[in-house]
Amino acid sequence: MKVGIAVRLGLALALVGVLAAGLTGYYGYAESRAMLVAAAEERLLTSTRVLVRQLTVGLENTARDVCLIAEHPQAARLLRRADPAMQISSERNVALLFQRMLETHPEYFQMRLIDAADHGLERIRVDRDVSGVVRIEGDELQEKGHYPYVFETVNLPAGAVYVSRAEINHEVGAHAGQGKPSLQVAAPIRDRADGPVLGLVVINVDLNGLFAQLAADLPPGLQLYLSNGRGDFLVHPDPGQAFAFDRGQRASVQEQFPATEALLTGRTEQAGQLVTTSRPAGREAVVAAFVRQHFTSLHSEDDFILGLSQPLAAVVEQSARLGSATLRIVVGFSALAVLLAFLLARALTRPLNQIVLAVRGYAPGLPGGRLPSARQDEIGVLARSIEDMQQQIRVQFDSLEEKQRALDRLASHDSLTGLPNRRLFLDRLDQALAHARRKDGHLALLFIDLDNFKIINDSLGHAAGDAVLCAAAVRLQQLVRASDTVARLGGDEFIVLLDGADDPEAIAHLAEKALGALAQPVMHKGQALQSGGSIGVSRYPHDATGATELIAMADKAMYRAKSGGRQRACFAEAP
Amino acid sequence: MKLRGVSLRLVPLVRLVAVILSGVFAAGADAAGVLRVLAWPGYADTEVIRSFEQKSGVRVELTVVDTDESLWQKVSANGGRDFDVMAVNTAELQRYIAADLVQPVDPARIAGTRRQLPRFRKLADIPGLVHVRQGRAEAYAIPYTYSTMGLIYDRRQFAEAPASISVLWEPRYKGKVLAYSGGAHSFSLAAQALGFPSPFRLQGSEWARAVDKLIALRRNVLGFYNRPEESVQLFLRHRVALMFANYGLQQLHMLRAAGADVGYVIPREGALAWLDCWAVTRGARDVDLVHAWIDHLLGDTASGLLARRQGLANTLVESDAGTSSDRIVWLAAVEDAPRREALWARIHSGDRAIRVLGP
Repeated sequence: MKVGIAVRLGLALALVGVLAAGLTGYYGYAESRAMLVAAAEERLLTSTRVLVRQLTVGLENTARDVCLIAEHPQAARLLRRADPAMQISSERNVALLFQRMLETHPEYFQMRLIDAADHGLERIRVDRDVSGVVRIEGDELQEKGHYPYVFETVNLPAGAVYVSRAEINHEVGAHAGQGKPSLQVAAPIRDRADGPVLGLVVINVDLNGLFAQLAADLPPGLQLYLSNGRGDFLVHPDPGQAFAFDRGQRASVQEQFPATEALLTGRTEQAGQLVTTSRPAGREAVVAAFVRQHFTSLHSEDDFILGLSQPLAAVVEQSARLGSATLRIVVGFSALAVLLAFLLARALTRPLNQIVLAVRGYAPGLPGGRLPSARQDEIGVLARSIEDMQQQIRVQFDSLEEKQRALDRLASHDSLTGLPNRRLFLDRLDQALAHARRKDGHLALLFIDLDNFKIINDSLGHAAGDAVLCAAAVRLQQLVRASDTVARLGGDEFIVLLDGADDPEAIAHLAEKALGALAQPVMHKGQALQSGGSIGVSRYPHDATGATELIAMADKAMYRAKSGGRQRACFAEAP
Repeated sequence: MKLRGVSLRLVPLVRLVAVILSGVFAAGADAAGVLRVLAWPGYADTEVIRSFEQKSGVRVELTVVDTDESLWQKVSANGGRDFDVMAVNTAELQRYIAADLVQPVDPARIAGTRRQLPRFRKLADIPGLVHVRQGRAEAYAIPYTYSTMGLIYDRRQFAEAPASISVLWEPRYKGKVLAYSGGAHSFSLAAQALGFPSPFRLQGSEWARAVDKLIALRRNVLGFYNRPEESVQLFLRHRVALMFANYGLQQLHMLRAAGADVGYVIPREGALAWLDCWAVTRGARDVDLVHAWIDHLLGDTASGLLARRQGLANTLVESDAGTSSDRIVWLAAVEDAPRREALWARIHSGDRAIRVLGP
């Protein structure tokens, strides 16, 4: 199929329209999606910072509790071993205090007062147990001098607080805390600020409890991650990945969120670093924010990296709705663009087609198709130009036709008398013969030669001759029917074709009338010119069947009439 | 209409078949797709694992252990079905064989064994590796690496190398000593210090004396470590003078790499030494794959890294590992591993003698 300009133009316009709508929609959607993700990252980062703040506040509160006891005069007095009686009452008071604190702080597993002497022997120890808060006494008290929370704390300056790594507590006899993730917060006890370290106060914090508090306030759909400074997970949505290092396995934040590598390789002393990342792959994709926290006010063995994640699908849920709305709009606008393109293409090509039709159907003399010449645009100009051109063609054609007609007449008629000439006569004779042959018809020829013509011509001049000829022509024409033909063969010879004539008497009668008419004098310049004529008659099919023979027979008969004394008509005789 | 009815009834059937098939294939793929390895720190570095994963197309799930006790607990927990292959020393191997937690290994299927030093290829000459079962001698492990457990000392704090392990108990190094937290080795160490006839066969009153000795050790040390990197950190941070090197040359290598001026000595009581081997668990899912793994670890990459990065001896080339000394005491199966571990757990937790030996 030939692709017309309308189709091409329509397609191009529709394509541009659809493309414009599609691209606008797509970029709008992509941009809004990116904005949503960025907003979610920002939101997550803020939430993570809030959580970090909560964690810090929680730890600082514990640190305050530890300091409160470490700086209490009773603690130092208990360790000085001054007066046995007072020591017993001090121990009872401190133990009571520990019990109260454990009862009011469900996130504490254990509180202890450890002697720096006696290899870190526990002097007061209160544990949380299934049955509640219990004081551990006597042989059950253990020497803890070889644990980091002891040997690190006894080297700390006054007022400092030690925070251990988050680990699973494997100490035998730790009651509720045994085998659980815990953190030791400890502070040294001194008699006076610059005095030697007498012992320390340790609180074992239940990390699960602490983290549960953190996670409790999270909006639904958010997932909490917590790792130590090396990236090992302490809290993970999949509990099997938390504290994997304690089981000899590795589950690290940098493995699952490669972007957090920056947090791990950065200087550990630097607080508050942050990174946001989107894990790329498929349906599992999440948006996440991580913050590394170093506890500057505490002597912490390790940092924490806290993170929050939200499934990407939830984040872009809004953008999915937006996407479907955009899609509908794009489809709508595309349809509109196609329709507009169709209409525009038609508006442009309809006048063109009209012009094409008008040009194609144009013929001189015919009215032709209507042109859109009333338009004021380029098409109107084109139409008017074509109209002008048609007009010119018509004028030229008319004059050409006029000349053609004149030429035709010249070729077939005698210029003097206006009668058909020999050529036209022979043509008509052929036609008449053909018709007669077909219809078994008849016809007759009267071959007429004017008498005295040469004398008139020579003596009175050509004008007189011409006048005789013209008069003869007029008179002969007046005698015959319209269907008959009178022609001038040349000189003073005329011939009359009587179509359908058969009856010799009627023919003879007509010949007689013709002789009479010719014998009438012709007035020329006041002179009466006397002429006459001789007529030879031949008939079809009586005398001959061919045109040439028929004319020759009539001619011969005319000669007989002439030689027989003129002013008479002779019928052709059989040779 | 009839046709439509038939096809409607077929749909649930097709779904059911699809679910069953996918389940079968998924389970198969899972079983074939993972090799569960139990190893000690530094035995299978990431690149060793990655290259094996590329070669074999399976995923390696590595679990690192740092005490014989945790290795035992992991393997024995589910009849050896939770892991495919493990690194275990020749002494510890005996309890696994006795408990039928390991199965024989075929050295002929491991091309790498042909490149091992002759003394590591003669499995029958290594105590505990070959056992006769139903009239057939079968090997249970392939040697991988070995080390003595000597003493590492800070050259700046010792004018000359300490001669005896009793230096670990010396009061002037109180708080400057690091020891390893493991039941079996600790009791062997105490037995050596006390001059018992066999460090692996405690009997009668020796138990109480060993407990006292270990409590004394506990009171003299700065702390106990489990992992080599942990020991290095503590050593450097607290300017430790002396350390019982459970990981031997591996720790020496790490300390020197960290810039410490340390020496290594075999005490006159003799140094305990271990020979770690790869053994196939009873519950190994794909024994061929395990053999391929062992072969991979005897290759130049793994065994080379062992020497280069960990400072440990491999079984391919002779090394200056000091195991030629006549003061080497190769680890042997202990008389009662659970008892040692139970007592050690109490000692390590800080209990005093009366409670350690109590009920």
